[in-house]
Amino acid sequence: AQMSSSSPSGSGGDDLSERRGIPAAKFIQDVETYLSQSGFDSNSALAFHQERLQQYKVVEMKLLAQQRDLQAKIPDIEKCLEVVATLEARKGTGEVELGCALILTACFKTFSLKDLISMLACEIEHVVSQNIVLASLEESTETSLRVSLLADFEVSEGIYSRACIEDTDSVCLWLGANVMLEYSCEEATALLKNNLENAKASLEVLVADLQFLRDQVTVTQVTIARIYNFDVHQRRVNQVTPTAIAAADA
Amino acid sequence: MQLQGKSSGSEMEVTWQDQQNINTFSRFNNRFHELEDEIKFAKEKCDNLEDAGNELILADEEMVRFQIGEVFAHVPKDEVETRIEEMKEATCKTLEKLEQEKESLISQMAELKKVLYAKFKDSINLEED
Repeated sequence: AQMSSSSPSGSGGDDLSERRGIPAAKFIQDVETYLSQSGFDSNSALAFHQERLQQYKVVEMKLLAQQRDLQAKIPDIEKCLEVVATLEARKGTGEVELGCALILTACFKTFSLKDLISMLACEIEHVVSQNIVLASLEESTETSLRVSLLADFEVSEGIYSRACIEDTDSVCLWLGANVMLEYSCEEATALLKNNLENAKASLEVLVADLQFLRDQVTVTQVTIARIYNFDVHQRRVNQVTPTAIAAADA
Repeated sequence: MQLQGKSSGSEMEVTWQDQQNINTFSRFNNRFHELEDEIKFAKEKCDNLEDAGNELILADEEMVRFQIGEVFAHVPKDEVETRIEEMKEATCKTLEKLEQEKESLISQMAELKKVLYAKFKDSINLEED
């Protein structure tokens, strides 16, 4: 059914006549006037509004599906941001450890670990972070490179494997459509933040659309009830047995 | 919520204001149900974080596998403790805000019910089915 831009006598104080392709349901001030002006009789008016109601329901289903998709997408993007942030945070500490470890392997044969550390400690007094690293090196027995991050990830249902994620300046982002692109950490963070903002904005618009749609559904349901009531009233007044008219499912 | 189509059959005047009240009540009702779901979810999350925090205290390993995104990263216990504290605080604050919104919605809906029942009496049903 086409949206008619007619009969001001039928309309209430609508702010919008339509929103993003969804036609507004015109509010009817007076049923009798509406019926005589539009040329509808009760039955055809009811049928018209019932059909409108069905169309609204179809659109509502679509919007609800879109809303569910967006609501799933947003936590996903937030998780990705968290991972990138964690990798970036690790980066700093990794570099310092790397520096000390190299010196260590070069001197391994000549000095014991304890002697070497006290030598280094004397020379690098003011570097606080390196002292912390030296202290932890003292405790550990490994002289190999400390990796940035150890992570257990799911290979398949119930099966996990361990990954050593080294210091890295770049991450790969899955863009969809079988495309994965490498970005620097900063670019990745910027891109993900942008996507997150867009998703949140889309969700807001969608929620507003749904609210508008639900209002129109309510108006249509009320209109159907009123036309039905009017019809029953008319029949009583005209002393005709009311035929069974399908009432609206509210 | 229904507007009875079958009741008295009497001509009941419905003004634009009434229609707007009905629309608003419908919106509030929808939001109320959404809020109930969100509150349930937030409560669950809060409880889980609480349990995680308690488990952490009992655990004696230095490295804890902490879930970041889809993977479990090996993170030192202290850092995990801090992170869980932060997450708990954030979730509890969200939960509080949601509860407040729910309270205000309940009172607003009660107001509207009074107005609508006064006008329409039996012709309208605003209860949960």
